[in-house]
Amino acid sequence: MLPEDLEDLDPGLAAERTTLAWARTAIAFGAVGAAMLRKEPVAGVIVLAMTPLIWALGRFVGQRAARPELVSRRLLLVTVIVVMVSVLAVGVALLGHSPTSLSQLLPLHG
Amino acid sequence: MVERRAARDGRDDRDPGSSHAATEPDARFTLANERTFLAWNRTALALVVAGLGIVQLLPPFPGVPWGRHVLGVPLIVLGAAVSVTSYREWRQNQAALRRGAPLPRSVLPRVLAVTIAGIAALSAAVLLVSAVR
Repeated sequence: MLPEDLEDLDPGLAAERTTLAWARTAIAFGAVGAAMLRKEPVAGVIVLAMTPLIWALGRFVGQRAARPELVSRRLLLVTVIVVMVSVLAVGVALLGHSPTSLSQLLPLHG
Repeated sequence: MVERRAARDGRDDRDPGSSHAATEPDARFTLANERTFLAWNRTALALVVAGLGIVQLLPPFPGVPWGRHVLGVPLIVLGAAVSVTSYREWRQNQAALRRGAPLPRSVLPRVLAVTIAGIAALSAAVLLVSAVR
């Protein structure tokens, strides 16, 4: 007899899917960073640097049960990073086409 | 499942909003909520990269120098808005799961559909203006 919910056979599947979702999200940051790299090297490198960070956040999926409040903080960090990337993108879009030096991008963070 | 049912049947009837009555939901619901959040954030990133692509990779529209910015910048802003909203909804869903309450309805599908339809209309307008000039 199969259980009503197939996941009762192996609850680890949900955690695994979640780890994979984190990996996809990290890869998405990598793709966005790589796409920006040619025209906007500095912004591209900043976004690319988020890939290992997001990947690392996803590594903690298994150990969450004890500290639910840490999950909230990790997800907030993802949102903060996405908003930061959007601000960077609007800056790059409005400031024109090749702010290749860091000093041209820094005012965006202020 | 067991904790969730206990929360629904028992103690939290007197005040569903208080953290006193809340219990940690089934881990699978928490994980599914988290995956939904992550999926919306990938969507947000796709919107940002689409907006940036329009501004940087398209050739300028003849006669409409601001055309690419009018289309691209709102997409990027929408990306940021989707990310912030998905975080808020993740929190609301998590709170509802703790109380054993029904999940609140997400506004994101509507926001996404309305904005993309708006961008499509705007694209048509820019193309028309560009063709007329």
